[in-house]
Amino acid sequence: MLVLTRKENESIMIGNDIEVKVLDLRDNQVKLGIVAPREVAVHRREVYLAIQAESAEAAAAPEADSISKLLHR
Amino acid sequence: MRLKTTRFGEVEVGDDQVITLTQPIIGFQEYRRFVLMDGPPESGLKWLQSTDSPELAFLLVDPCQVVPDYTVDLGRHELSELAVSSVSELEVYTLLVVPRDPSKVRTKLKAPVLINVQHRLGKQTVLERSDYPIQFYLAQSNPGTEEPKEAANARSDS
Repeated sequence: MLVLTRKENESIMIGNDIEVKVLDLRDNQVKLGIVAPREVAVHRREVYLAIQAESAEAAAAPEADSISKLLHR
Repeated sequence: MRLKTTRFGEVEVGDDQVITLTQPIIGFQEYRRFVLMDGPPESGLKWLQSTDSPELAFLLVDPCQVVPDYTVDLGRHELSELAVSSVSELEVYTLLVVPRDPSKVRTKLKAPVLINVQHRLGKQTVLERSDYPIQFYLAQSNPGTEEPKEAANARSDS
C-alpha cells in the first residue's frame, strides 16, 4: 500500500482525473472531497461491501414457492 | 436474438429491448447487458435477466409497493448519465432478496436500479444521503399478522 502524508487542504491525484482532497481534520475524523469522472462510482467501503453481499444473495435463485408465499402474504 | 436463460428457457428478445447498465449491479461488474422481463403473474415484480449469463437474473420490485413514499434524489450528473432530465422519466426498482424463510424477504432500498426504458439505459446507484436501509424486511411493513396468530393457536392446542 502506498502511504502519503497530507495536511488539511492538500490533495492527491489518482491518475489524471481523480483528486482526493483532505477538507477537514477534527475529532478523530477526516473529511475528504473527491473529484472524479462521473463514470467512477465512489462509495463508503462498508456500504459498498454490504450492498455487494446483498446483490449476491439477490442473484441466488429464489425458490419458486418462496416467491409465491411472498405474494400471498 | 434468442436468449438462453436457466429460469425461462430460451426466449426471443429484440435487440432494442437490451438495457445497458452505465454502472453495474454492485458485485457483478462484468455484466452490463440485461433485459427486463415480467415476474410472476400479478405480482408487479420484474426480472432483470442478464443477456450474457443464462443463470444471472435479479428479481426487482417497485419500491413504492413496499414504502409508498419512496423517493430517489439524483444529481444532474446521474440524470444526464441516464439521458433524462428528471427522476420521473425513470423506472425505479429495488433488488428483492428471497431466502427460503419468507420472514427474511427483503429489498435493497439503499441501492435502487434506475432504468430509462426509452433509451435502454440503466444503472444501480447508492443513495448515499438517504436513510433507506440496505436491508428492508418486507415483513416489517405489515407487522404482527402471521406469527402472533400461530403462537396463540399453539397455546390453545396444548
